Amino acid sequence: MDVNKLVRMANQIAANLDDGKNPQRAIDGTVDHLKRFWTPAMRRQIVEHYRQGSNGEEVIELSFIAAQAVARLAEEQQQATA
Amino acid sequence: MSAAFQPYRRARDFGTPKRESQRQVTLTIDSVTVTVPEGTTVLRAAAEAGINIPKLCATDSLEPFGSCRLCLVEIQGAKGLPASCTTEVREGMVVTTQSKRLADVRRNVMELYISDHPLDCLTCPTNGDCELQDMAGAVGLREVRYGYDGANHFGAKKDESNPYFTFDPTKCIVCSRCVRACEEIQGTFALTIDGRGFASKVAASQNQPFLDSECVSCGACVQACPTATLTEKSLIELGQPEHYVVTTCAYCGVGCSFRAEMKGEQVVKMVPNKDGHANHGHSCVKGRFAFGYATHKDRITKPMIRNSIHEPWKEVSWEEAISFTAKKFKEIQAKYGRHAIGGITSSRCTNEETYLVQKLVRAAFGNNNVDTCARVCHSPTGYGLKTTLGESAGTQAFDSVMKADVIMVIGANPPDAHPVFASQLKRRVRQGAKLIVVDPRATDLVRSPHIEADYHLALRPGTNVAVLNAMAHVIISEGLEDKEFIAARCERDAYEDWRAFILEERNSPEAVEKESGVPAETIRGAARLYASAPNAAIYYGLGVSEHSQGSTAVMAIANLAMCTGNLGREGVGVNPLRGQNNVQGSCDMGSFPHELPGYRHVSDPNVRKLFEQDWNVTIDPEPGLRIPNMFDAAIAGTFKGLYVQGEDVAQSDPDLNHVAKALSSLECMVVQDLFLNETAKFAHVFLPGSSFLEKNGTFTNAERRISRVRKVMKPLAGYEDWEVTQLLANAMGYPMSYSHPREIMEEIARLTPTFAGVSYEKLDELGSIQWPCNEKAPQGTPTMHVEEFVRGKGLFRVTPYVPTDERTNSKYPLLLTTGRILSQYNVGAQTRRTANVAWHSEDVLEIHPHDAEQRGIQTGDWVGLKSRAGETVLRALVTERVMPGVVYTTFHHPESGANVVTTDNSDWATNCPEYKVTAVQAYKVEKLSDWQQRFQSFTEQQLEFLRKARAGSEEAVG
Repeated sequence: MDVNKLVRMANQIAANLDDGKNPQRAIDGTVDHLKRFWTPAMRRQIVEHYRQGSNGEEVIELSFIAAQAVARLAEEQQQATA
Repeated sequence: MSAAFQPYRRARDFGTPKRESQRQVTLTIDSVTVTVPEGTTVLRAAAEAGINIPKLCATDSLEPFGSCRLCLVEIQGAKGLPASCTTEVREGMVVTTQSKRLADVRRNVMELYISDHPLDCLTCPTNGDCELQDMAGAVGLREVRYGYDGANHFGAKKDESNPYFTFDPTKCIVCSRCVRACEEIQGTFALTIDGRGFASKVAASQNQPFLDSECVSCGACVQACPTATLTEKSLIELGQPEHYVVTTCAYCGVGCSFRAEMKGEQVVKMVPNKDGHANHGHSCVKGRFAFGYATHKDRITKPMIRNSIHEPWKEVSWEEAISFTAKKFKEIQAKYGRHAIGGITSSRCTNEETYLVQKLVRAAFGNNNVDTCARVCHSPTGYGLKTTLGESAGTQAFDSVMKADVIMVIGANPPDAHPVFASQLKRRVRQGAKLIVVDPRATDLVRSPHIEADYHLALRPGTNVAVLNAMAHVIISEGLEDKEFIAARCERDAYEDWRAFILEERNSPEAVEKESGVPAETIRGAARLYASAPNAAIYYGLGVSEHSQGSTAVMAIANLAMCTGNLGREGVGVNPLRGQNNVQGSCDMGSFPHELPGYRHVSDPNVRKLFEQDWNVTIDPEPGLRIPNMFDAAIAGTFKGLYVQGEDVAQSDPDLNHVAKALSSLECMVVQDLFLNETAKFAHVFLPGSSFLEKNGTFTNAERRISRVRKVMKPLAGYEDWEVTQLLANAMGYPMSYSHPREIMEEIARLTPTFAGVSYEKLDELGSIQWPCNEKAPQGTPTMHVEEFVRGKGLFRVTPYVPTDERTNSKYPLLLTTGRILSQYNVGAQTRRTANVAWHSEDVLEIHPHDAEQRGIQTGDWVGLKSRAGETVLRALVTERVMPGVVYTTFHHPESGANVVTTDNSDWATNCPEYKVTAVQAYKVEKLSDWQQRFQSFTEQQLEFLRKARAGSEEAVG
């Protein structure tokens, strides 16, 4: 899938779950949302993107909350495969 | 099937409406003792006792009028002969309905009527079903002493302008039933009695032909007419029906109950069912008249296959089409993996059919790649209401609106999209309820005859959340909240968080005014009105859900209702108005990729186990692809096969260039539909669908009401839709062996707690059932969350306003918002194939005079409409219904390409597309867009492929 679209979606989720006061809650909420509504393939792709960066292509940046949430997913995936 | 067939008879008419009262009154009518509620008329009390007093101007759907003088009675101690329709019962009253004196008066009255009535009964279309004829018989009319040579109306001209009914004034007795029906039932006020005395006549608007008048062709006047003055053209053509079957309309989410009045397997007319729980005998132009599509010549009745969308179709047997599909799907899964195929269920199909499609995907395809068109309309409702209240559904019955003191309508246009409910809502407003409308457009609810909104919050598209937050800010900052309700019914910590958030200055009406365009004082006034009402109810539509913050707006609505205690009783609530007939049902049935039936997440092992044991398969614990994800995955090359039942994503979904690219990337696309719709033009397999008249099943309307759909004719292509899904499942290697949809409902009830008490037997017995229906609520649940919320305590969610990315700029300075119109339905596949095109033959672009003048655009001009996604051309309609800076169109006609222009922006939580906000430019043009020219040639090519298939089949037969 178009990784820019996934990044945009993740950023939207993060922005809507962020009340500006409790970033940890926003990150937890974003992780939970990605798990409940995204397919494993979509999650793998955004994690891959997070790990590898843009590869020189023009991509949208993950927001702080979204990046933290994807980092959590990356960690969990690593633990699962370890 | 035969048990549902009833011999034709006119529905029982009690003369005047039912009254409700705690006090009962006992009287004597013709020596019979009768007890009825106080306020009941003598006419109705007699009818309830089985005593039929002659009548003409009275009917139980209308308030008493007292003009015909046929229902006169004698009342002991009363002077003269009072009209029983306008006389209320009194304790101890003694009434005589038949006497020599009464007979003489009634006969004289009838004699006068008939002296100005054509005596062509034998050739009259209502012969055998005419109240005037019945009354002539009842009063024993034997002669007309006045003759027929006096002044009369025999020369009056028929009005045949309406495509569905004629108006023959020669037969009119000026009883005003049609005029009153238009006012009291429909609430349009299009009809009037023009002139005085003998010159009195029924007139549409300013003495205009019906079609050109304000008449919305709901059929209420036709239904009310006691003579052949207003008569369905289908009845004139076919004659009286011989039996009828009660079934449910397949148009909007109101889910009206109808009598399909039949001659053999031919529908003579669809008549709204007086006992219908959602519509109480009312209808709209779609359900009442627009059923001709079911037998339209465009229906495809033979399965077809092809290897490429660039090849002609080939008509084949059902066996060949099904085995071709199964083989392709299996090959795709073998090559690309289990997740490379999926299915889309339809909100136009029955519960049983959508249940079966999702079961096919989860059990036979072995993944959760199933979604439904609710993705693109009300998925945010599912998310938002489940999160805050605990259940993904509206909280009330439609009738609840009659107890509301304040009605707030947000992003919905009921007079166009949910007309029968709109009539009820308007009736309540005429009784005195206050009305708040939140909409960028001045819809008919803002101002129309006898309706004027107390507040119209004409907000800029995309600012719903800001405005809803501002309303909550006013309520909390001014101490208008229901503290007791909040303390008793809602989660405390979450409420405190929300309260602190909502009190922030960014949520004040003054802060929101600039962004939303709504004056702060208007927001304050509306918030105070909503919060201070004893009962305030919210009704909302796709103008709430189809935004990048659709889910947030739904939660903001729930927050408003919770903080004012407007939940858990009649007259209040949060009510999503569902677009299509079975949006609620298709969602209930587990059509979403993350949820099994009953809104239970696939990751829950206990829920999976329940289904796994029943279905004898392993269910994937991970969510599948949603529709927009399917398209993206198709373009990325990981999604290759799709089974679409009764949906037209190539017209209804946004960013059509993207959709077309996705559909063209599929290796096997299977479309099951009535017609070769836009999506079918990209298909490799076409499986003929069955209309709602050709199958058994159930629909669930916007008030969670489950109603039976009953088969009145055999399927034109041989199978009901659920049977086709079953054939496909078997061919895929997953056995299904249902013999009737009843058995599918039994399975649904077995596996879904909210449906546990639902069965066809109970539906036959009760007429309809609102879920939850289970041990706790064996008769169903009209009002939800009464004692506590489904989730226990109500959850306030913080709802920050996040502006959409779709912003105007100098290149795209206008905002496009899209919607629907009364006479057409969704993609128009059905209504475009009926005479409803008389009202809306093309989609037009509404533009404010200011914006039009700047661009040199006049009504009727071709206007180019360009967004970041695409470009199309429509004709302009210059109107002040839209505000400056906003343009509006509908999406009922594929060639208008409204969704070529809409973008892939979507709701953050559900990916519901942001149809309601697209930044565009509009400009005068001379010719169609490039897209439209490509569309025309593609369509022509695909229709040629269809013609070749049909010609091939005729040759083979010949």
